[in-house]
Amino acid sequence: MDTVTLSKQNRLYWLGRYSERAFTTLQYMLGEFDQVLDGAKVDYPAFCQKMGIPCPYTDTEDFWQHYLFDAADANSIRASIDNMLGNGMVLRETITTPSLSYLQMAEDAIIMAETSASPHVELQWVLDDIMAFRGCFDDAVDEEDVRNTLKAGGFVERLSLMLRLDWRMERLQRELLKLLNRLYKTNLPTNGEALEVIQRAVLAGAETDPQLLLRSVESLFLL
Amino acid sequence: MCAYCPVFFCLERMGCTVEDLVKNARLINQQLARYGVKFGIYKDGEFQERLFPFDAIPRVIQADEWEKLEKGLSQRVRALNLFLKDIYGPKRIIADGVVPEDFVYRSPGYIPQCEGITPAGGVYSHISGIDLVKGKDGVWYVLEDNLRIPSGASYPLIARTLCRRCSPETFRHNAVVDNRGYGALLRRTMDSVNTGGINVVFTPGRYNAAYFEHSYLAEKSGAALAESGDLYVRDSVLYYRSTKGDQRVGAIYRRVSDDYMDPLAFEPTSLIGIPNLMGVYRAGNVAVLNAFGNGVADDKGIYYFVPKMVRYYLDEEPILSNAPTYLPFYEEDMRYVMEHLDTLVVKDVAEAGGYGVVFGSKLDKEKLESLREAVRREPRRFIAQEVVDFQDLPIMDEGERVERKADLRAFVLSGKDETVVWPSGLTRFSRNPDSFIVNSSQGGGFKDTWILSR
Repeated sequence: MDTVTLSKQNRLYWLGRYSERAFTTLQYMLGEFDQVLDGAKVDYPAFCQKMGIPCPYTDTEDFWQHYLFDAADANSIRASIDNMLGNGMVLRETITTPSLSYLQMAEDAIIMAETSASPHVELQWVLDDIMAFRGCFDDAVDEEDVRNTLKAGGFVERLSLMLRLDWRMERLQRELLKLLNRLYKTNLPTNGEALEVIQRAVLAGAETDPQLLLRSVESLFLL
Repeated sequence: MCAYCPVFFCLERMGCTVEDLVKNARLINQQLARYGVKFGIYKDGEFQERLFPFDAIPRVIQADEWEKLEKGLSQRVRALNLFLKDIYGPKRIIADGVVPEDFVYRSPGYIPQCEGITPAGGVYSHISGIDLVKGKDGVWYVLEDNLRIPSGASYPLIARTLCRRCSPETFRHNAVVDNRGYGALLRRTMDSVNTGGINVVFTPGRYNAAYFEHSYLAEKSGAALAESGDLYVRDSVLYYRSTKGDQRVGAIYRRVSDDYMDPLAFEPTSLIGIPNLMGVYRAGNVAVLNAFGNGVADDKGIYYFVPKMVRYYLDEEPILSNAPTYLPFYEEDMRYVMEHLDTLVVKDVAEAGGYGVVFGSKLDKEKLESLREAVRREPRRFIAQEVVDFQDLPIMDEGERVERKADLRAFVLSGKDETVVWPSGLTRFSRNPDSFIVNSSQGGGFKDTWILSR
């Protein structure tokens, strides 16, 4: 089916956001824990603060276990994957069954990782499955605005995470340019004021309150 | 050679063992999980999604046997469509005394609002699910006609693709008719009655038991999947709210029961319907698949009369047999039922999904008496049938080959100019050795249904 309803457009946008959230935060966590092997400490309270989420975790192990695998923790990576799959399931006829199967496999992989002796292997599968989903979706969906709605959601999430996790401005610029390239190829209603703030701050280098910049990214699309 | 025909012949010739079958079943079930092939049930007030257990040993129907079944199914559905046209029109069959009016007007499926309406293309039951069993005498018996929203086609449809992937050699050595054209057939059926506009599959939403099926059939038929808020009526026309503007809907394959489809015409508290849809339907501006009011023809009480309908409307002898059925409504049948209650199966005509089915042989004296009393008190509410001693099918259960009761739901698609029987079907089996109930909601599983081409 080549046309979608407004409610499905919303789902596509959030499917893009949750898949990016799961992908980027999982990659980040795997990097952090790789350093733990060499004796580094994970400053999880600082991470929670940057992400703007509560920090109920008692120690590093507790953080690892819950932030990664606890489906009941709304901020966990597992919850992002659940939401990614939940949005995908109601979009089967739009994103196609083969694409949806990669989301299901990502969910299966993180469930396996929870009880695995070497969870990094299964967590790598999660990343692989999300990448495979993106490729499959891009290949299977003909409608440009449908493809770009999902991608726009992904870029907004990526910018948001980059701002929260203090990524370098050059990376932000690159990602913003990718988003701008898609912006007018979607049917998403855009917040012009927010767009101006973002462009001035990221492309022109104007000094901007980081919180205002983050709010502008979060409210770029009127959904 | 095993008694279950070509599959095992082939499997044995290929050196296939029980272990191979177990492995195949595991592989296919893994694939089904990957593709999210699930059904939902509500347990203790909570929605749960479950995988529909798949058994790797297919049901096999020989080409000549299928040819007869195909003719019989097509004949039966043509007669049922003519019955619906008659009931909501001139009612000749009542006037001629073939069907008592009591069985029509007191049926919960009869909808007076449908009187005088001829649906687009003149078709009432576009997608019919006919439940059959094969008796030990080799005869196929129809157990039930489902003309409202029969579900289940998606499972054998996706299972075949996965079986071919997991066990290609099996298909290389057997001439199995391809069943993967169901999506195209469904589309052709919708297109044939479409009044101008897009095709839509209408679902109550994500938490419906058959949501997988709704979304999968929408994908395979190229229709838009829509929920209540996605559709609206303006000036007696149904529209789909899309990001590219409103689009007219010409055919709606609805997977919501009559009562909930239009709160202004039926159940006023329904939140999952489309207000004023009945007006669009009445004006002939949309084809509703299946039409409103079909329940009057698949009522368990009306089932008794279907062979008579075949003779009445088509002037042909029925090709398919009903299970021997008694209507306590008739005095003679009542006497028989009272005398043989302990050997009959009694069905409540208002129930579905395997509920309201009581086997007299399984009741103690007290319960048997209470059933007898209920039948006497409300004869119209029940039918009684001889227990058909139907053939068991082999299934794999925890590594062992065992036999279980199984039925077959055949799908018949009726468009404006053709009635086509899908060369496949949903074979459901009971996982409980003592049970005749095969419904997925009650723990049953399913298997592929092979129609051999030679």
